[in-house]
Amino acid sequence: MNTEWEPVIGLEIHAALNTKSKLFSPAPNHFGDEPNTNITEVCVGLPGSLPVLNKEAVRKAVQFGCAINGTIALVSKFDRKSYFYPDNPRNFQITQYENPIVIGGEVIVELNGDEKTFPITRVHLEDDAGMLKHFSGFAGVDFNRAGCPLIEIVSEPCIHTPHEASAYAMAIKAILQYIDASDCNMEEGSLRFDANVSVRPKGEKTLRNRTEIKNMNSFSNMELAIESEIRRQIREYTSNPDKHPDEVVVQSTYRWDPEKKEPVLMRSKEFAEDYRYFPEPDLVPIVLTEAYIEEIRKALPELPLQREKRYIHELGLSSHSAFILTSDKPLSDYFEEALASCEYPRSLCNWLTIEFAGRLKDSGQTIMDLGIPAKNVAILINMIEQGAITGKIAKSVADDMMVNPEKDPQSIVSENPDYQPLHDEAEIECYVDRAIAENPQSVSDYLSGHEKALSFLVGQVMMMCRGKASPPLVNELLKEKIKAKS
Amino acid sequence: MMHTSTAIDMQDRFLRGENSAVSIVQHFLQRIARYDKQIGSFLSVNETKALERAEHLDKKRASGRPLGKLAAIPVSIKDNILVKGCLATCGSKFLSNFIAPYDATATRLLEEEDAIIIGKTNCDEFAMGSSTENSALQMTYNPWNLKCTPGGSSGGSGAAVAGRLSPLSLGSDTGGSVRQPASFCGVVGFKPTYGRISRSGLVAYGSSLDQIGPMAACTADVALLMEVLGRSCEKDSTTIPKGPEDYLSKMDGSIRGLKVGVPWQFLEGLLPEAKRVFDQGLEILKSLGAAVVEVDLSLLKYSIPAYYIIATAEASTNLARFDGIRYGVRSPRSHTLEEIYDLSKEEGFGPEVKRRILLGTYVLSAGYQDDYYKKAQKVRTLIIKQYRDAFQKCGIIASPVSPFPAFEIGSIRDPLQMYLVDIYNIGVNLAGVPAISIPSGFCHEGKPIGLQLIGPQMHDVDVLRAANAFEQATDFHQAIPPEYAV
Repeated sequence: MNTEWEPVIGLEIHAALNTKSKLFSPAPNHFGDEPNTNITEVCVGLPGSLPVLNKEAVRKAVQFGCAINGTIALVSKFDRKSYFYPDNPRNFQITQYENPIVIGGEVIVELNGDEKTFPITRVHLEDDAGMLKHFSGFAGVDFNRAGCPLIEIVSEPCIHTPHEASAYAMAIKAILQYIDASDCNMEEGSLRFDANVSVRPKGEKTLRNRTEIKNMNSFSNMELAIESEIRRQIREYTSNPDKHPDEVVVQSTYRWDPEKKEPVLMRSKEFAEDYRYFPEPDLVPIVLTEAYIEEIRKALPELPLQREKRYIHELGLSSHSAFILTSDKPLSDYFEEALASCEYPRSLCNWLTIEFAGRLKDSGQTIMDLGIPAKNVAILINMIEQGAITGKIAKSVADDMMVNPEKDPQSIVSENPDYQPLHDEAEIECYVDRAIAENPQSVSDYLSGHEKALSFLVGQVMMMCRGKASPPLVNELLKEKIKAKS
Repeated sequence: MMHTSTAIDMQDRFLRGENSAVSIVQHFLQRIARYDKQIGSFLSVNETKALERAEHLDKKRASGRPLGKLAAIPVSIKDNILVKGCLATCGSKFLSNFIAPYDATATRLLEEEDAIIIGKTNCDEFAMGSSTENSALQMTYNPWNLKCTPGGSSGGSGAAVAGRLSPLSLGSDTGGSVRQPASFCGVVGFKPTYGRISRSGLVAYGSSLDQIGPMAACTADVALLMEVLGRSCEKDSTTIPKGPEDYLSKMDGSIRGLKVGVPWQFLEGLLPEAKRVFDQGLEILKSLGAAVVEVDLSLLKYSIPAYYIIATAEASTNLARFDGIRYGVRSPRSHTLEEIYDLSKEEGFGPEVKRRILLGTYVLSAGYQDDYYKKAQKVRTLIIKQYRDAFQKCGIIASPVSPFPAFEIGSIRDPLQMYLVDIYNIGVNLAGVPAISIPSGFCHEGKPIGLQLIGPQMHDVDVLRAANAFEQATDFHQAIPPEYAV
């Protein structure tokens, strides 16, 4: 009998907050500087140094909590989490274990045309570790990142496919960007994912042992890692049908190796660390007032889901297009900028998310990186929609815009004779006549009610004029001539 | 004689031009050179820097610029408090090469008031002990009887003031470590309300109990230090958000009508000689117009176990940073990361420190935390409440500091017996209340015995005021160990 397996996935997302200074010290919170320059005695855990909480980090955590409709704790606390590692300067991390700053919440995500709600368990503040650098013969530690503020966003075990996991994570990323809480720069590690994965036979009520895959920093790596872990667990259960499930998959922790594209075992349950959490005596509890929380809630900017709904209801975008566009805050902002001088949102959205995105796919760059002014894209769309250029020419114009980002599409068209649309009706009529003469079968098909046959004929004409004639005009002329003939 | 005058008089004579700062510093440096070979109170002496600073102060005075409250007064500082550029060994082999890269807030405040830091004093390793015998670096002997310990952990500070090697000293008090050596050495030692003096730059032992405390030959000098040090600090979030207070102007010698609470039930085990001196102290208070009432502090019988759970839990994480990676002594035998951790700690820490780290690690471990750490916190809450109730009935609580006067070096070998030495002191730290030890008599062997006065939280001024009244009515504080009087 074939068992149907149901994966159960929970995600822990670490997001680096983009505050000016670190979580517990006035050192700059900035990536990419000379090693060990952005540090104070607190960041390196020197004897006698004490943490002092950064209020800006609290504000950003509360903003995020409000954005996911979570409950903001009026009193939350920090705890010490003990473990030894050279990048951990005090050999304990300061985190929120018992009383996190945000409890509960949810994220709603568009998935294959449906909306799915992902419940969130908690969000807490904690400080980041430094970074180990390995050289030949020795290793060094860069403490610039040590003490940078993170929020850890813990989902319920409510995710059932790798694709859902990345859709949820993308939605979190979008929210963080909309409220300007994090740069979400994946290359710099400002968003990192840990996944807890288990599988169970469909219908089974309890959860089976889970494994944790730590430190994935791209959506695609996360999907791959979860996929491979699900397959591994199913394989284990299937090949050990007689063993007790607890003995087949043991609770363990893996690290994702992005080079080898496989999970590497870090430790299993019997070697699980005892973090010895207890309240951090050097910090006082975070005490917030209702008024403070309300002020933050009221000042929240438009969030991705709100924007998505606006795009659907006010701009007439499909829910899928609206989701794709709004998931990418910078692109969505760019879209809005272009929309200021363009009245064709659907066409504009398609050109941005399909045409330009397709052209940029392999470069890793965005249209903003190229420096194409949003207004120029708006002009291009206007030219297409107003029949000034054909779709085919528009694609070539778009190619040229990628090469010369500053050049506006009007100049590109006017300077290139090949892009001049064919306005000479007599010439077009010649092509139409020829197409009718050369394709009698299509003509009779059309006459007997096959609309598709007309499209074929339009295509023939467009080929003859190298795409320069306006398709509606060709359409009209064809219909006229066939009608006259019959 | 310069060393027999109070710090306040010394500053006054400097301001009036009767003594130069250089002559003051030279006088104390000469005394250190002459006597500290016997006493062993200093771990390092700042000869060059102290003289440079004295010259600078003499010039400052000559130019008529305003001078600070501590101008030209030499101050010694316990070696677990950081003075930039000076060794801060904490009495440990592990930090025997550690030069402080920044100033403790207390150090900065002293220097801003033109004090002269003359050297660093010996202590039990990381302030863990009651006799200074746990210093890994040297022995300190009680100036009243060189066979005896000076008490601890701030034994170096107590002995330095008793021997008049420095008029003022800073110690730290986690469970009696300022008051008990003050009592053994016949000087004044004050443990302020938790949070009154910044802990920034005090190498942490038990963070929720640690408090820097001033030591001097008389209450007025301690009050002067409190006026300088007692203020909130932006680098320590546990400081009380309150500016400096006036102490000296409130010390008018009057305690008429003051109710003095005595926890008779708790004092049943007091040895006869200590009892005699304590009773005599109460008579003096009564003769000044105070009324003695009985208060219930019976829960203090649980203070030692509660303290040794909370303090060691905090210590086990505070000392985790001493891993041999960034500073301190790394074991030369170590080759791997694990060996750096294990061997550096094994070689660098003494037996008492190891014992407390092990105990603290144990009480925080999964499965034991509820029975030990959490239960101890509940006991602490009850003790705080019992003090609060007791202060409903009285303004000040009187108690002995120690069950007996200074004991002989090597006479207490059982660590548990040593822990009991601080039976009368530890509750004060658990409750975070202010308490002082003042000279109140001598045993038949001529060793000093202190009287402890305890106030409610934030009533630091009242404690000093009562102690000063006692002092004005007695002359115990004027006694100097005969060998060091000249």
